[in-house]
Amino acid sequence: MRNISLSLAGILLLALLPFGVGGYEVNVAMVILFYVILAVGLDLVSGYCGQFSFATGAFYGLGAYTAAIMNRDLGTSVFVNLPAGALVAGLFGLLLGIPALRLKGHFLAIVTIAFQTIVYLIISQWTSFTGGQVGLTMANVGPVTVFGVTLFEIASLRAYYWLTLVMTVICVFAAWRLANSRLGREWIAIRDDETLAAAVGLDTTRGKLTAFVASAALAGIAGVLTAHSLRGVTPDDFTIWISATVVAMMVIGGRGTFIGPIIGAIFLVLMPEFLGRFAEYKMLIYGILLVVAITVMPEGVVGRLRQRSAR
Amino acid sequence: MSADRGVPILEARGISKRFGGVVAVNDVNLAVNKGQIVGLIGPNGSGKSTMVNLVSGELNADKGQFLFEGADITGLPTYRRARAGMARSFQLLRLFTSLTVEDNLLLASHMRMKTSIVGSILGRESGLAEEQAARRKARELLAWFDLEAFADKPASDLSIGQQRMVELARGMMSEPTLFVLDEPAAGLSPPNVDKLILLIRRLRDEFGMSILLVEHVMRVVRDLCDHVVVLDSGVKIAEGKPDAVVKDPLVVEAYIGSGWKRRAQG
Repeated sequence: MRNISLSLAGILLLALLPFGVGGYEVNVAMVILFYVILAVGLDLVSGYCGQFSFATGAFYGLGAYTAAIMNRDLGTSVFVNLPAGALVAGLFGLLLGIPALRLKGHFLAIVTIAFQTIVYLIISQWTSFTGGQVGLTMANVGPVTVFGVTLFEIASLRAYYWLTLVMTVICVFAAWRLANSRLGREWIAIRDDETLAAAVGLDTTRGKLTAFVASAALAGIAGVLTAHSLRGVTPDDFTIWISATVVAMMVIGGRGTFIGPIIGAIFLVLMPEFLGRFAEYKMLIYGILLVVAITVMPEGVVGRLRQRSAR
Repeated sequence: MSADRGVPILEARGISKRFGGVVAVNDVNLAVNKGQIVGLIGPNGSGKSTMVNLVSGELNADKGQFLFEGADITGLPTYRRARAGMARSFQLLRLFTSLTVEDNLLLASHMRMKTSIVGSILGRESGLAEEQAARRKARELLAWFDLEAFADKPASDLSIGQQRMVELARGMMSEPTLFVLDEPAAGLSPPNVDKLILLIRRLRDEFGMSILLVEHVMRVVRDLCDHVVVLDSGVKIAEGKPDAVVKDPLVVEAYIGSGWKRRAQG
């Protein structure tokens, strides 16, 4: 109950944010929300199911480019692009999941890095389809109408922020349900001991694939939201640096703790805002934090706090 | 005892497995009949563990065939064999350490439940009767092992003896027809070994399971087994009633002989 009321209070606070702060701060809050979706999604496959992935940026990009290309060719709105982006990213998640069935640990990590690189190369080089290095620009999100009645103008920053908030709440809630479901229990079992998981009759192939698909679909949704927010896409928004940042958020916050990656995302997005002229070194700082976390606190901040309170 | 004696539940026919140049298991035939407790013994390195891993599907045999309840399961992956009714315990204890004792048991009943991404998000499953029934059954089993008090504790909090009991409870949770026990007495104190012998007998007599028992502790083998198969260097060198087998000169030589060899080399 305490967790539910805390979450509701947090969501309410975020919903009221645009009334209290300026446009810049609302944009920063939106970036936090994108990363919350990415980090929670990565936690499902890496934290719960124990399968390393450095391909979050690729799925993020696949969602974003799906939105941009559909918008260009079919004129679709964000509401059509959201499920489409989730579907495309989810399908590619399945594709990446297949080699993951035979590989473990470092080897799997290397394959996910290769996948990330391939996706980057395709979106940056297939100029006729993706716009190449320049990327694509998108039209404004039009007003949302039902039977000819305009419900609200989503073109304003405020309205789009609320849409992002609603989607983030839906994504986080869905991920929470997954993590605490029968499927989530199977993912933890696979992470703990794959041999034993198979011995008690679990289809570990299916378990891993569902984790990859769920994780990728969430990143795809974050990508669609980002594309519409930036009104366009460029390949450099979806590099391996994004993947590494999301990994840092998850690890520093605490793998498999659910709340940890959320806190990690908030912390790592906000940190450069307070670094002033050192903000350009943020990747260096993320890297150092990641190394420190893995060395002295592999269970992450939230994991460590839980261990303390359990004692 | 069971009336279907003589009907094999598990049959291994001409099973061979080599690792590089080493033949770990060489042309072994073995059968476990319904309601039987069959012991698999042999000195260290004789191929017992390899044989168990071949039976459960963690390893694939190079040659030979496995029949389970008459059906060929030779090519089936581990989880399909488990779903067919085969449970196992591990020589080195294996539990899902970050899950509670109860969740460890629940996972063994997952194979009979459906899971899907959409169903999980919509919460269609947790309210279902089958999940409740599985939880009730897990509690009952834990009560049977006097472990109810530990149901919500992480599995890693338990003592070795208690973890062994959780492994047995987990095996029972899936209601197997064949339970493969890999050195269940390893690391147990003598009073706990007595308790284990009673428990294994009850698995057969009350739950109708057939059991393939790999064991080093001869007292367990002599007290429990209807039939014993002896491996040495991957080859079956004897089989029969436990009392007869331990007197077999080949078996004596395999045990004592290897002991002498070890001492001479050390």
